[in-house]
Amino acid sequence: MNIVKLSAATAAGLSLLLLALPAHAQTEAQKALAGKTVHFLAPSMPQFAALAKFFPEFEEKYGIKIVVDEVPFENYRQKSLVEMQQGTGTYDFFAVDVMWLAEYAAAGFLEPLMPYVKNGDLTDADYDIDDFLPRVISGTGVFNDTLYTLPIGAGPVGTTFRADVAEKAGFKLPERFSPEFTTKYMYDAAKKVNNPESNMIGFANIPGRWFWGVTYLPYLFAFQTPETKGDEYVDKDWKITINNERTIASIDYFLSLKEFMPADSANWGIGEATAVYQAGNAFGTWNYQDFVKGFFEDPETQAKVAGKNVHLHTPAGPSGVIDPWFGAWSLGVSKDSKNKEAAWTFMQWVTSKDVQERATQYGAGPSRHSTYKSETLAKYQPWWPGVYDFMLKETNPDERVRVPEWAEISDIMGEEGNRVWIGEIDSKTAAANMEKRMTDAMRKGGYYIPGRNDLPKQQWRDLTYYDRLPSEWN
Amino acid sequence: MSISERTTTAPPMTLGQRGILSRFGPSNRAVFPWVLMAPTLIILFAIGIYPFLYSLYIASHNVILSKPYLPRIFVGLYQYQALIQDPEFWHALRKTLIFTVQAVFIEFWLGLGLALLFQRQLAGITFMRVFILIPMILPPLVAALIWRYMFYPGAGLMTYYVGGITRALGFGEIPFLSDPAVAFQTLVFVDVWEWTPFMFLMLSAGLASIPRQPYEAAEIDGASSWRVFWTITMPLLRPAILIAVIIRTMDAFRTYELIVIMTRGGPGNATTTLNVFLTKTGLEFFDASKAAALSLIMMMIIIVMSFVFIRVFRSKTEVAE
Repeated sequence: MNIVKLSAATAAGLSLLLLALPAHAQTEAQKALAGKTVHFLAPSMPQFAALAKFFPEFEEKYGIKIVVDEVPFENYRQKSLVEMQQGTGTYDFFAVDVMWLAEYAAAGFLEPLMPYVKNGDLTDADYDIDDFLPRVISGTGVFNDTLYTLPIGAGPVGTTFRADVAEKAGFKLPERFSPEFTTKYMYDAAKKVNNPESNMIGFANIPGRWFWGVTYLPYLFAFQTPETKGDEYVDKDWKITINNERTIASIDYFLSLKEFMPADSANWGIGEATAVYQAGNAFGTWNYQDFVKGFFEDPETQAKVAGKNVHLHTPAGPSGVIDPWFGAWSLGVSKDSKNKEAAWTFMQWVTSKDVQERATQYGAGPSRHSTYKSETLAKYQPWWPGVYDFMLKETNPDERVRVPEWAEISDIMGEEGNRVWIGEIDSKTAAANMEKRMTDAMRKGGYYIPGRNDLPKQQWRDLTYYDRLPSEWN
Repeated sequence: MSISERTTTAPPMTLGQRGILSRFGPSNRAVFPWVLMAPTLIILFAIGIYPFLYSLYIASHNVILSKPYLPRIFVGLYQYQALIQDPEFWHALRKTLIFTVQAVFIEFWLGLGLALLFQRQLAGITFMRVFILIPMILPPLVAALIWRYMFYPGAGLMTYYVGGITRALGFGEIPFLSDPAVAFQTLVFVDVWEWTPFMFLMLSAGLASIPRQPYEAAEIDGASSWRVFWTITMPLLRPAILIAVIIRTMDAFRTYELIVIMTRGGPGNATTTLNVFLTKTGLEFFDASKAAALSLIMMMIIIVMSFVFIRVFRSKTEVAE
């Protein structure tokens, strides 16, 4: 046997050996964690249901037991904050919404993660944190330059429409991110097909008092101009800027969609609007990319609409501005956990390339470059690859300003906006009320203390901050 | 060894044991009752008095639970002052009072009517009595969920059938949970559905305890049913009415699950009562100090209302006697 043949045989043998090995060989430190139980607090949402399918596999592989407490989304923030604040360590890791990171991290409820990422004894060698999309990881998990959480999925907010209904009405819906899809286009298209007598409403909107502060935002942004970008809520000195003609126009536009809604819809939340759409009784509705598979494209539970949808972005406004919003859930280790290493072992496993890619077939979303480019994602959720560039270059993690006061700001917008919807006040009064009450909230937060020089940086004014490689964070 | 042998061979008490017994035992009539009450008092302090004192402490400081890094500054009565200057507080207080008065008023008269009706010996009355009590037995959360789905837009039984009738009559659909005024009345309706049985139960017990003699005397005198009701039944029923009304008033004043599940305080802020406002402040914004001040104000309101009820009823009872 000559040297070439010997080398080839050796290489082939090694390759076979490598293939035979499990994707992630366990380290001694990981093996030592076998027998531990970690407790996870999560909201009842489709993407967490997708991850739950992998728990048995993890438990078998690592010998660490996962106990999950699922809480309805509307009660989740309350429950998680109370648990964290009590500091009992009942839960070892939490699901964290992108909007709550500032509050949780500033309060010291979460463990910084980079030491774990860099710990080769606890993190699989092929974890590759730089495989995460920079804006997704920085926008979801970084606070004050420190990494606190890992994203399980992150996607833009958008709209979903029935392509078959449009076709029947004689028009074809535009492609995603086409400049043709504007607020005017959306209104006109909804009006064209709106026929409540035949159980088809033009647009199932979500105006409920507790949702307005979320579902109205695409229009607040759409009605901005390139010059007002960045000043949607506050100026450079944190002075509230919401009372202006753009806000008023966006509220009026949101209100114009009321024309397509049933009389008893002022309290509609995501559940009601989605149910109407799933029943085949609405032409369009609001979506969040991570919900698409679970809410609109499951042939078993949404037989009337699955496969008939077009998933678009939120419409561009008169100046062509599109809402740069993305939503995301991530996982963070509790500062008070007594099983931090076991919790991390699970987190790094469930957010690994392999598991994230496989989870997409059950409805979980991508947050890694490799997952976006995978055949599995293209096969099971073909609406995702089209948003890859948007997630890389257009998203603004501070579309909702990530300050601890946001919960109150969102509530104020929801209440005032919903009052316009039910006819109690007009849009001008709502904008004025929002400004006054949001200013009070910021004042209470200490933003206007003369001489204060430790206010948060407004990173959204230079989005390159969010474009650092994930491994560069502390 | 027999039992008697064992009893007789028990070791004698030491001097120390005898001392403890004489100091805290039944022979010390001044101390022994306190010894018996001690477990109850300790529990009462732990779950009643300590939290109350802690609420007073929190309300006099600036504590935001989601910002534990902020220093706890003593702010005196600032939280109360801020609440009194807050239009949201006054709006929520007004809504709470209207809700309480409306709900308790309707529940009282319906409950009394049912209690009077069920005094008669009618066929199937035992079954009916159990049937009437079902709403009260349901956990408030379950009752609220049932009604939320009954009023579910487009799909609920109430929206479907009542909406069908009103549409047929040309009035269109009733926005049960979407119109501010209608949503508020819908909540009152559900509260009445759930808690009228409680009034019925309390007043039935009250009616059963009224002696027969006054009625017999009235019958001999030829008094009308109306007069018997106002001059005998109502005055003698006052203690039961007082307890039932006070309990229901306190409950209605604190209604939470029903409102949060059915309307979450909306539409707008049409159904935002004090308890909804309190929960939002404490558990959404985590402003513990403001929430503590608000809960203390709510407690004061309930105490004052109960005190007024007791005074009014007691004075009327004394007049009647």
